[in-house]
Amino acid sequence: MSVEITQDRSLSPTSPVQAAQTRAFIKSLEQECQTYWDMVEIGDELSRDLHMTPELIILYADAVEDFNPWYEAWRMNTWQISGESPFGGAIVPPLLVSHFVLSVQFDHTKPFAIGSIHTFHDSEVIKPIMIGATVRITTRAIDKYEKRGRRYVRHAVTVTDVADGTLYFRETRDILSL
Amino acid sequence: MTDSDQMSMNALMITQETPVGYALQPIRKKAAIQLMGSRLWGRFNPNHWDPEYAAATGLKAPIQTGEMSSAYLAEMCVNHFGAAVFAGARIVCKYVAATLAGEVITTHGVVREKIAKGDGYRFVVDIWCDNEAGEKKTVGWVEVDVGV
Repeated sequence: MSVEITQDRSLSPTSPVQAAQTRAFIKSLEQECQTYWDMVEIGDELSRDLHMTPELIILYADAVEDFNPWYEAWRMNTWQISGESPFGGAIVPPLLVSHFVLSVQFDHTKPFAIGSIHTFHDSEVIKPIMIGATVRITTRAIDKYEKRGRRYVRHAVTVTDVADGTLYFRETRDILSL
Repeated sequence: MTDSDQMSMNALMITQETPVGYALQPIRKKAAIQLMGSRLWGRFNPNHWDPEYAAATGLKAPIQTGEMSSAYLAEMCVNHFGAAVFAGARIVCKYVAATLAGEVITTHGVVREKIAKGDGYRFVVDIWCDNEAGEKKTVGWVEVDVGV
């Protein structure tokens, strides 16, 4: 039996000041937007570069409570360190770049298409990404299809090293659109 | 990490001798709003962290981004396959149900197949996440080379 949690403020206690700030922030997100289905045409390609800073990796890993020391190129009190992993210095968690694909495949210069849901990924972790690298995430819309009355947009993704072109990661992923 | 911690981790490692049917050690996480709504994760969409907004859009509670459960599953795989996860692994996940704020999510994995490859095997492991009631949230599989 699933847990009933409707509007349970105990999960996120706030004072009146915080509640007002939250409402203001949410209001700031309101904007006219298209559905993702309408935003994307097959063949659309988008690309952005992302620097794998130690702090970025820590923010990612802490939120999923993954405290593997391989991902630490930043440590409290010491701050920046080279870190250690089987590949030498600290590395990036295996699916971190997959998380950032969303920021590429949704054209960040346009309003975000709320109502879209990431439903599937098929990811190949080809080589480890060392912390400090800058990677290029490239997404290409390869299909739009309907299944059981629902609309999906499929993308092919590559993640490469900006400096030398090394292919680190490849992925196929689906977004369910309104 | 202490020596005893390291020994415990080493004991989890899958080897060429690990049989089909072997169950990976689960990890367990609580879907905490404070983490779901962090800037690097779901802050851009209040459905991931605000109970009132989520209710207004018809959700029972804020929902976790699917990638968080994928990260949990990847952590379990790294525990068992170590460095091999970063060199030629495949991780496939389908989000079959939403993870609600407050739920406790447990990862699972069972070795489905060992395919001879080079001097070792390519392991195929069925993976999934479920909540306290056993309701599956994410399902998929991983493929990892061992001893190849």
